[in-house]
Amino acid sequence: MTKYAMVIDMDRCVTCHACEVACRAHYEVPVPYYRNWVHPLPPQGVYPDIKKTSYVGLCNHCDDAPCVKACPTGATYKREDGVVVVDKDLCIGCGLCIDACPYGSRYINPLDDKVDKCDFCIDRVLHNEEPVCVQTCIAGARIFGDMNDPNSEVSKLIESGATSNFSSLVNVGPNIYYKDSRNVFPVVKASFPPREPIRPTPQKLWTNVVRPIMWLTIGATFFGQLAALALQLFKGESDIKE
Amino acid sequence: MDERINKLSEDITLDHELLNNPRHLTLEEKRILANRVMKKHGVAGVTLHWVNAGCWLFLIATGTALLSASYLQFMPNWYIAIMDGIFGNRAAMLHAHIAVAVFWMSLLIFYGIFGFKNYLLEFIKNDLTFDKDDIGWLPAKAKNLIGKLSHYDIPPQGAYNAGQKAYAVVVSFSTIILMITGPIMAFHLGSEIIIQWAMLFHFVAAMAVVAGIFVHVYMAALFPEERPAFFSMITGKVNELYAYFFHYKWWKEIKTEEHEFFTSELKKDKIHLPELDECNKK
Repeated sequence: MTKYAMVIDMDRCVTCHACEVACRAHYEVPVPYYRNWVHPLPPQGVYPDIKKTSYVGLCNHCDDAPCVKACPTGATYKREDGVVVVDKDLCIGCGLCIDACPYGSRYINPLDDKVDKCDFCIDRVLHNEEPVCVQTCIAGARIFGDMNDPNSEVSKLIESGATSNFSSLVNVGPNIYYKDSRNVFPVVKASFPPREPIRPTPQKLWTNVVRPIMWLTIGATFFGQLAALALQLFKGESDIKE
Repeated sequence: MDERINKLSEDITLDHELLNNPRHLTLEEKRILANRVMKKHGVAGVTLHWVNAGCWLFLIATGTALLSASYLQFMPNWYIAIMDGIFGNRAAMLHAHIAVAVFWMSLLIFYGIFGFKNYLLEFIKNDLTFDKDDIGWLPAKAKNLIGKLSHYDIPPQGAYNAGQKAYAVVVSFSTIILMITGPIMAFHLGSEIIIQWAMLFHFVAAMAVVAGIFVHVYMAALFPEERPAFFSMITGKVNELYAYFFHYKWWKEIKTEEHEFFTSELKKDKIHLPELDECNKK
């Protein structure tokens, strides 16, 4: 089965921000939000041995996506081809997925008050076009494809050592891979580590306090009244008029 | 004409006795009271009750199905799957939930504004305020149900008994919370953290009403004693035996009003009933 993934070739990226701009233009992403970003890092090392890189990020379309689990209504879901998408008609903009996302890949769009994020340009991909960022990249640093297809460039790059941004604390199966032969990716990971998913206080209360109480109370009144009805049926009724 | 006046006179004599001194009824008196009816609910009230009930049923059915995240989910997966199937897609279910809720809110607000004096204030006065008899009712009724206390020792009740009132308080309070938190979520009125708290309060308020609904339905529709209450929500009327037994204070109030009305009407026809004077004296 198809599983879409992307490889960022860090040897090729020149931090030109073209992908970020193309994405912003295509999806009308308001400043200061991103569906796709390039965060430049300061130069590493001592002259003349200097390395310059940036964190090229987007939604990781995680295998075990915390945002999908956090979404109360099912507006955020994972397609069969692995792409995590948002059904904007079902989204109420509660922000629980934003709290859950370890990568900061989501934002509430102030134009429609719904959550928005990278969807691998799935509408374009289904029409056999490349994602906007891939198409626009001047250096060919973004490679998109089916990682389950052993002949695809993506799966070959992953095979040859491209790795993703996870840590021992947070590993939810991210599917954006980074090809890096200059040993700069550890710096990116150290600067932008995935954070643990946050569950806000009201939802913690919901799960741990309110819901058990409600289950108990509603169960008790339902079965209590059912028992009363059973007793009434068993004993037969008498009218007050009699 | 004379025969009717005689009948009225008889009725009033019985009323007068029971008004002054509530007591066990003879079989004959029970028969007489059971055949007399009193108006309990107006058409507006009956309509509102059933439209409100229908809206609640729909909103609870869709609302619980909309909660699909496992850590928030209230109903089992098969229930959510059935509801998804009925609506075709979940977005349609959300939109239907919001549409019905807006209709429900508009209806209540409409009643609240135009029926402020006749309905809302009366509802608050009769249904949401508790007196000493109401506080004593619950333990007394509980003892009565297990057969430890005679019906006649239960504190007399107004138009609604304390149990009905307690549920009315829960429903009213929940309605206000739902009417505040619902629009916050549906129309994004506030930051994400406000919406997250609104979700919690929305859930608590709705579930508090659900917790009481089984008691409400059983007591009103199935429990033999209170069954006239169910039919009164259709016809608007109750028989006086029920009113005398379970809502004595309300029965007394209506009777007193009725006697005052009789006096003024009879005065127009220059008829004088000494029994009425007796009743109106106090």
